[in-house]
Amino acid sequence: MGLTGRKSEKGPVCWRRRVKSEYMRLRQLKRFRRADEVKSMFSSNRQKILERTDILNQEWKLRRIQPVHIMTPCTVDSGFSEFSRQVIPLKTLNAVASVPVMYSWSPLQQNFMVEDETVLHNIPYMGDEILDQDGTFIEELIKNYDGKVHGDRECGFINDEIFVELVNALNQYSDNEEDDEEEDQHDCKFEKMDLCDGKDDAEDSHKDHALIQLKYIKGILHPKMKIFSLFNYPHVVPNPYKELTEQQLPGALPPECTPNIDGPNAKSVQREQSLHSFHTLFCRRCFKYDCFLHPFHATPNTYKRKNIENLVDGKPCGIYCYMEYPAGVIAERAKTPSKRTVSRRRGRLPNSNSRPSTPTVNTETKDTDSDREGGANSRCQTPVKLKLSSEPPENVDWSGAEASLFRVLIGTYYDNFCAIARLIGTKTCRQVYEFRVKESSIIARAPAVDENTPQRKKKRKHRLWATHCRKIQLKKGLYGSSNHVYNYQPCDHPRQPCDSSCPCVTAQNFCEKFCQCSSECQNRFPGCRCKAQCNTKQCPCYLAVRECDPDLCLTCGAADHWDSKNVSCKNCSIQRGAKKHLLLAPSDVAGWGIFIKEPVQKNEFISEYCGEIISQDEADRRGKVYDKYMCSFLFNLNNDFVVDATRKGNKIRFANHSVNPNCYAKVMMVNGDHRIGIFAKRAIQTGEELFFDYRYSQADALKYVGIEREMEIP
Amino acid sequence: MAPQKYSAQVMNCKKPKMEQLQADHELFLQAFEKPTQIYRFLRTRNLIAPILLHRTLNFMSHRNSRTNAKSLTSHLQLTFTGFFHKNDKPCQNSENDQNSVSLEVLLVKVCHKKRKDVSCPIKQVPTGKKQVPLNPNFSQTKSGAFPSLLVSSNEFEPSNSHMVKSYSLLFRVSHTGKRDPNGFINCETDENIDVKEELPSRKKRNSSHRGDGEIPETFVAQMTVFDKNRRLQLLDGEYEVSMQQIEDCPVSKKRATWETILDGKRLPPFETFSQGPTLQFTLRWTGDSSDPSMAPVAKPLSTRTLSELHLLVRKQTMAKDSVSTSMQTRREQSPCEPRQKLRIFYQFLYNNNTRQQTEARDDLHCPWCTLNCRKLYSLLKHLKLSHSRFIFNYVPHPKGARIDVSINECYDGSYVGNPQDIHSQPGFAFSRNGPVKRTAVTHILVCRPKRFKPSLSEFLESEDGEPEQQRTYVSGHNRLYFHSDSCMPLRPQEMEVDSEDERDPEWLREKTTTQIEEFTDVNEGEKEVMKLWNLHVMKNGFISDNQMTQASMLFVENCGPYIIRRNLCRNFLLHLVNLHDFNLVTTATIDRAMVRMKEIEESLPELEEGQDSSDATCNGHAVSSGVSLHGKRTKSGVSD
Repeated sequence: MGLTGRKSEKGPVCWRRRVKSEYMRLRQLKRFRRADEVKSMFSSNRQKILERTDILNQEWKLRRIQPVHIMTPCTVDSGFSEFSRQVIPLKTLNAVASVPVMYSWSPLQQNFMVEDETVLHNIPYMGDEILDQDGTFIEELIKNYDGKVHGDRECGFINDEIFVELVNALNQYSDNEEDDEEEDQHDCKFEKMDLCDGKDDAEDSHKDHALIQLKYIKGILHPKMKIFSLFNYPHVVPNPYKELTEQQLPGALPPECTPNIDGPNAKSVQREQSLHSFHTLFCRRCFKYDCFLHPFHATPNTYKRKNIENLVDGKPCGIYCYMEYPAGVIAERAKTPSKRTVSRRRGRLPNSNSRPSTPTVNTETKDTDSDREGGANSRCQTPVKLKLSSEPPENVDWSGAEASLFRVLIGTYYDNFCAIARLIGTKTCRQVYEFRVKESSIIARAPAVDENTPQRKKKRKHRLWATHCRKIQLKKGLYGSSNHVYNYQPCDHPRQPCDSSCPCVTAQNFCEKFCQCSSECQNRFPGCRCKAQCNTKQCPCYLAVRECDPDLCLTCGAADHWDSKNVSCKNCSIQRGAKKHLLLAPSDVAGWGIFIKEPVQKNEFISEYCGEIISQDEADRRGKVYDKYMCSFLFNLNNDFVVDATRKGNKIRFANHSVNPNCYAKVMMVNGDHRIGIFAKRAIQTGEELFFDYRYSQADALKYVGIEREMEIP
Repeated sequence: MAPQKYSAQVMNCKKPKMEQLQADHELFLQAFEKPTQIYRFLRTRNLIAPILLHRTLNFMSHRNSRTNAKSLTSHLQLTFTGFFHKNDKPCQNSENDQNSVSLEVLLVKVCHKKRKDVSCPIKQVPTGKKQVPLNPNFSQTKSGAFPSLLVSSNEFEPSNSHMVKSYSLLFRVSHTGKRDPNGFINCETDENIDVKEELPSRKKRNSSHRGDGEIPETFVAQMTVFDKNRRLQLLDGEYEVSMQQIEDCPVSKKRATWETILDGKRLPPFETFSQGPTLQFTLRWTGDSSDPSMAPVAKPLSTRTLSELHLLVRKQTMAKDSVSTSMQTRREQSPCEPRQKLRIFYQFLYNNNTRQQTEARDDLHCPWCTLNCRKLYSLLKHLKLSHSRFIFNYVPHPKGARIDVSINECYDGSYVGNPQDIHSQPGFAFSRNGPVKRTAVTHILVCRPKRFKPSLSEFLESEDGEPEQQRTYVSGHNRLYFHSDSCMPLRPQEMEVDSEDERDPEWLREKTTTQIEEFTDVNEGEKEVMKLWNLHVMKNGFISDNQMTQASMLFVENCGPYIIRRNLCRNFLLHLVNLHDFNLVTTATIDRAMVRMKEIEESLPELEEGQDSSDATCNGHAVSSGVSLHGKRTKSGVSD
């Protein structure tokens, strides 16, 4: 220890310096790199702008600007004789009025859910005078975020990336010059004591843990240690060096990640694993993976098939189909595997060759194919012959990918081995069948068909629904403040009917097609069966302030004409995005305004009010800033969420407020989502500016439903 | 003395009155001089280089002579009663069937002199030939049987040539003595030959034809339709023109004007009528049949001269501005007279509406730009829209109308037209160099907006109706629009493109790919298929479960080759199974999609090895692109 002590006496000082300089160098490098990135981004942006302005400039060049002859031409005299006098006719251009201020925003055609912001992203600047007037405003704002402001370097001085780089950089030192300390480092590597030695100057107790992790860092225990002491780093080391570097190795994946099924490293895994990513990320409501709108996705395992498909078509796929074998034989063979040589290569399709080695076997089942060769093969019925003719299946190589794929498909196709083989592509159905026999223990049986109860009569269902929803609406009226419209969340309570404990029922929402409850659920909205345009209260969807659901309303046309704009159902405009063409121009009232290009009829859909969906709390925090700016794009969606079109939105966000508006807003339930539609309050002429009443809280639209419904009940 | 004194008193009394009057006049001028001058200037400029045609305005539609689909526009109708010549007595000459003469009518356009011309160039436009009865007996002939000729008023329009100074009608009667072959008459009977080139040749042929016959006599006469001041000289009525016999000299060859020939007459003007030869005809201007009384003043050139108008400020008696009659014409009563006289009193209010001057006019011409509005409604509309420096108020009056004119204090000269024009046509609004090419913009040419019936009541002063009235004037796209992303002005050709038409803006596409890329526990193959599918769904905007089969098949069609090339088929199959697990597609769809995939694979050209490997890299682990992207999100984190 004495020796090492001496070494360490000299070591830490030098290491400390070294680490410090390396760290500084890396930081600087990083800064430079960042600056370069910013520069290149800026110049690429600049390029884009230039391209766009070029289009306009080209036009200007082509334009002939007529000189005004009355006015004297513009002349430039030069004091020197060698320069001639320059004369050019005077061209006058019209003054261009400046446009109102616009803060940048991103276009959006559908709502976008964002999480609450835990830190204040920027301190809003609203001019010096406001800050002077109301100095406390910013303080309060920061307090709203618990004092957290973006860019604070609370934990930012070292991160994984820079740590790895630093260690790499220091590694070089040890390799090149620190030969004499090799022994010392060796010690460090293995001896806990050494660690403690080095740790002496760093008093923090909880660094112990970090340093133990550091034990695995080859040779650079000292500097690492020092660095933490140096900067008085309060936390543990984020991740061990080893772990970080290993991730960079090719092919290394986190344990929960299934290897690529199309890649060379595909492994044989269970069905759940193969489909795990797909199952967890798929949004059944948006049909997208990792969608922008629904943070919680239900996994499919509890979904029940509406109708069990005919899984086994009962016909052999060819002359080498597994069905051509007597079932007993194969089963027997599967139980008693024989070690025969493989005469057939993997990947051959059944009809490619192998005719001599695998004679067709006539089965007991009547079949046209087998009839042809029936006579010839009739004598091959003996088990012995079969064993000889059909090569042993056990030796067929099943790659990991194939095996995984098989397990995936068996969960979908069950016993339709021909189909499975077709989809796998590299195996015959016989091989699939044999593989299946081998795996029989782990594979679930096809669900019984009789699970499904026969569907009830639609009419009866409608009637049931009507009474039910009366009940619900009455309840709504009872509690009075029907201002509470709650966000819909698909319910998932297996083997429990949708009663008072169901979240849909308590939130007074209907169960949607996304709910996990049975299709017989009382709380389900059955859709309309209109043959008209669904724009009167005759339509139950319209009455319930819902758009027609293309999967429920099959007669009104909401499920037809996907590619054309003229749908007979007028109650599906939001979901189809059948918005009107809007034009932006400085408003006649204030700031920017939005103008309609074509005239519209009364009650016609104009546009959806899109934006970020934020929680009510987040809206409160953001609203404080917006109120100060005197410019707010917040719009109450329901009890849980608010639409904020400040950062993301569409053109309708520019519609101004008016107490005598020509538009109105309506929050509608559109395929399970609340969305805001802007509709024409009266007939609107070409080029009119659009206004709606901001004050009219839009949950009210849903509130009135209850009252109207009650009145309708006889 | 007394009378002297008296006169002095009168003088004294008159002087202040005069001064007062003068001061009043000063005030009046102060108020109205400037705007009037401006509008005079604009009027002159609009005549030289029109920036709009009044007839295209809705309220002036009756000025549009071309509205009629039949294109029977206003025209000059000449009905020839007969050719009278004392020398022949056709009525007594019963054995001779030659009781008609051949009449040719030409429109002579005397053009302005160009620099090189010695005299004024003359253009002769033949308008037709007719057989006119010779010395007819009115008791025998029915009035409907008279030959008539139409001269389209288009001929008098300046559009044909800006240089025309005056228009006159030239009548040429060919009379071939007593015996003439029948064929000649037949030859000439076809009507309205207005083929210029054919004329001389025919003439020659005719002359050669009747070379052995009698020498034809030719009589000519010329009447001015519009004089140099573009004033209409021929009003409706019956005319008798004395004709001059000329020697056989083709008129068209001559450059001399016809005035010089007529000057050489010795006969006193009215004596010719007693002896002839004279041509009798009835002249009518026909325009829109609905309003025949307006016809004589409907012609585009029949505007008043500047000299008459430039003294509006002075009180002048607006006596009927009678059209000067020609000495040679004997005017009888016009068939369309008399029309109801409409007197319009312009009441000029000034000095804070404390003083007023009244002036009356008997026609519907705009006092500032001399535009003949022809209807009271049009006049009022024109005044309101074109002379916004004034405020006009219409008050009904038993004799016609009273229009109160006052200065519009709110007038600020700001541009009220379409700002699009200013933006896209800088410096072009008031072109002086003739027509300029405009930017190509699609405008609705045919549009039938709901229009209120023109009613004078809209000009009556009302308390509150004004703002609403004003609104209808500015409906439509009377503003410059901007791009919502860049705040750049929208070019007219971009009006039709909705920048919001794309369902998947670029940033959103980028967002979804980066978001999926960020997952640490999703492998590359899965990521690739998920990204493709997401972009596919975003682009097509699928919204319902029953679209999923169609969506999957479309996905195969669009992305199939890519999937095959990147070796992602099994991942794609997993995706399909996933859709099946979510109850969105059936196994039949999976089968169909995979069969289609195989077909695409077979149809794809074989890839070269090098390309294959480079393409397939995304699947190997060579692309574990950037550690920086990893370590952000996990799928388990999402699902929790």
